[in-house]
Amino acid sequence: MTRAIPLEAVLVVAAALFCIGLFGALSRRNLIGVLMGIELMLNSANINLVAFWRYLEPRFITGPTFAIFVITVAAAEAAVGLAMIIAIYRSWNTVNADSVDSLKG
Amino acid sequence: MSFFLQYAWLIPALPLLGFALITFTPLRRNKLASGWTATGLMGLAVVMALGLLVGVVGAGSTESHAATTTTETHGEATTETTESHGEAATETTETHGETTTATTESHGEAATEHKAAFTFPAPVVVQRFAWAPAGSTNFAMGIYVDTPVAVMLAMVTITATCIHLFSIGYMAANPRQSRFFSFISFFAAAMLLMVLADNLLLFFMAWEIMGLCSYLLIGFLYERPQAYRAAIKAFITTRIGDVLMLLGLVYLWTQAGSLAFGTAVGEIFNPEFLQRIGTETGFMGMTHATLISLLIFAGTVGKSAQFPLHVWLPDAMEGPTPVSALIHAATMVSAGVFLVARTFPIFEADGGMALQVVAIIGSFTALFAATIAVAQYDIKRILAYSTLSQLGFMVAAIGIGGWVAGMFHLLTHAFFKALLFLGSGAVIHAMEATPAIEKLHHHDEYAAQQTAQDIRNMGGLRTKLPWTFWTYTAGYLALAGIVPFAGFWSKDEILAHAMDHGHPIVYAVLTVAAFLTAFYMTRQWRLVFFGEFRGEHPVVFVNPEHQAEHHHHHGHADHHADDHGHDHGHGHIHWHESPTMTAALVVLASFAVTAGAFNLPFSMPGGHWLSHIWGQAGVGINWMVAGLSLLIASAGIAVGWFSYRNAFAKAQDTDPLDARVPTIFAMLNEKYRVDEFYNATVGRLTALLALLWSFLDRVVLDGIVNGVGHLTLFISRVNFIVDDTLLNDGPDAVADGTNAVGRQTRKLQTGRAQDYAAYVFAGTLALAMLYLYVIGK
Repeated sequence: MTRAIPLEAVLVVAAALFCIGLFGALSRRNLIGVLMGIELMLNSANINLVAFWRYLEPRFITGPTFAIFVITVAAAEAAVGLAMIIAIYRSWNTVNADSVDSLKG
Repeated sequence: MSFFLQYAWLIPALPLLGFALITFTPLRRNKLASGWTATGLMGLAVVMALGLLVGVVGAGSTESHAATTTTETHGEATTETTESHGEAATETTETHGETTTATTESHGEAATEHKAAFTFPAPVVVQRFAWAPAGSTNFAMGIYVDTPVAVMLAMVTITATCIHLFSIGYMAANPRQSRFFSFISFFAAAMLLMVLADNLLLFFMAWEIMGLCSYLLIGFLYERPQAYRAAIKAFITTRIGDVLMLLGLVYLWTQAGSLAFGTAVGEIFNPEFLQRIGTETGFMGMTHATLISLLIFAGTVGKSAQFPLHVWLPDAMEGPTPVSALIHAATMVSAGVFLVARTFPIFEADGGMALQVVAIIGSFTALFAATIAVAQYDIKRILAYSTLSQLGFMVAAIGIGGWVAGMFHLLTHAFFKALLFLGSGAVIHAMEATPAIEKLHHHDEYAAQQTAQDIRNMGGLRTKLPWTFWTYTAGYLALAGIVPFAGFWSKDEILAHAMDHGHPIVYAVLTVAAFLTAFYMTRQWRLVFFGEFRGEHPVVFVNPEHQAEHHHHHGHADHHADDHGHDHGHGHIHWHESPTMTAALVVLASFAVTAGAFNLPFSMPGGHWLSHIWGQAGVGINWMVAGLSLLIASAGIAVGWFSYRNAFAKAQDTDPLDARVPTIFAMLNEKYRVDEFYNATVGRLTALLALLWSFLDRVVLDGIVNGVGHLTLFISRVNFIVDDTLLNDGPDAVADGTNAVGRQTRKLQTGRAQDYAAYVFAGTLALAMLYLYVIGK
């Protein structure tokens, strides 16, 4: 079953997903869109973890374990990120990433 | 039948499906649909459970060694084939410390004295699959069905279905009905999974899910401070037991390397293993088996609300009445008893020490709770203390080795106690529609409910709620132990076992408890259903929370009363019994009358049925014990009837017992002040520790931090003087240079997070290039 789809194909999907996520995270002006892009990147990493586990070392559950950790961290990150977006909205009255530049040197 | 055997896992899966449907689909917006979905799926589970029971019993009694093979769907599953345990099959098992070689008798015949060590009937279905294989640990999870499990499943599904059905009528006015059904379906799934579990870890997981559901449902009416406090109390109290139980499981794991049920090598009921832990000393002179058993028993003490962790169960009555019936009377609280029954070989392995503790705790609780029940006024609290007391009976029965008797009582009790709770629910439901309480409802919902539950405000409901009255009477006679109702047979079997196997003290304590049971139930039955109706001028419950919560409750109460659509202001009382509620009552009542037939103590076809299918020797009828317990139950009823015959002409009257012995009555009414004792000891201790920590934090730790701060400040002052006077020019030039560079580089810092992310990406890319083309080459 697993041999029908080569590892490379899965990796290509993951890479594509990563690129989409990266593009979204860098180019979207809406902060929520940026957050979504980050989620996509994390998930592409998950696909890689699980794929390498399944194809190369399926005896131990390292891959899924890492993936679960990543999912957990992603959930926490989303919670913090959304909370920050709400805080930003409250003080700037916008969720546009370009308008929030108080870190400017 | 093989269908039912093969798909036994569907039994917990069906209510779980109900939970998922109600929780995650738009079904939840339709109250009626979610109620009927949950009930329907539970009904399907009944069919599955009954089919399984027939299949398992059939497989257990066939002469042949026709093996019930179980097929497997999972990739890496292990499939075990188990042999049926025929009547003529003689199994030689080596067991116990003394190495007694026992031959299990053919149980179809008359009960014979069975001194050999305990063995479970062989399982009929075992399906396991590898769960998270990691390294060298391969933990299998799955289901394990033998006859006790099959009987438990049938009992749980039947009572749960009745209670679901009842809830459709009872919860009709509640705006969160869907949420309610989602919770109780989830609970039912967890309970069934626990019964089916093939190892103690899965058992424990399901056990904890039940604890969660119990918490959610006790606090279901979360607008009421009493309800959420009771929920937290229940959760924390049972958690004390559960933590100890988990320790016990870990301990067992270290000894056995497995938590799987079964007698094979590497499983926890393996005879050699039991013999080893029964003789090796672990800690403080106790054997491993004693320690493991006592730790596991702590879980039972928490879940089955045995003394000293019993305090949560009466408070749990803050939940809606169907919850009290299902979770806090029929199923979840008896899970603790089931745990001891399930792990009985471990309890027995140490030669009786652990079981002695079990018997002492159980019989003490039986008597202790029965005395408290005598002096309560709340219809549900009386039943709650009665549940404590009956659970004590079961625990004590298992403690004296009466495994069948304890489990039998668990079954019959589940039916008649669920019936009594639902009956009380019907009574409360009707009481809430009386004018005096409706009026109260308008400004304090909680006080109205408490007033509606007060048996002093009832009376004469026999003619007003005839269905409720007759079904309640069946449950009452079963609990009081009148022949031929279910409770008589099971209670008598416990007493007969205690007598026949030389436990006179347990026998005496339980007999006194049985007398009190008959007495307090008669008191309640008499006050609720006979005499004149006293609810026109009720004893009004004074709600201590009311002042603070006034405005909040007000709006809600108005809304609630409108839902009912009752016209108030007139003196006319509209008594009504909902059809779904009545149907559930009738089904449970039929079981309360007949469930004793499952294990009649006579040597006749169909007699000793449970003992027979469970492969244990049953206790024969002991006419002396049976006659005496019947006499005692009748005496309790007579005393109760005559004491309360002329009591309570109006609701404000004093209880006759209170008039005669006020100090004792007050003590019992205040539940021996155990809660106050815990507040004064454990609660005070916790507060004291918190105070100590806060002192430590503010004075000691802050002092150190502040001291370091002051020291640093002093050093920096000295440094400043040296700096300013001696070394300034060189650094100034450097500073100017830095400034210039900074002015240029600050243009890079746009303040936009996305630009920074792009830099990071560029940096990563550069490093990757460096690695690929320079270092990697």
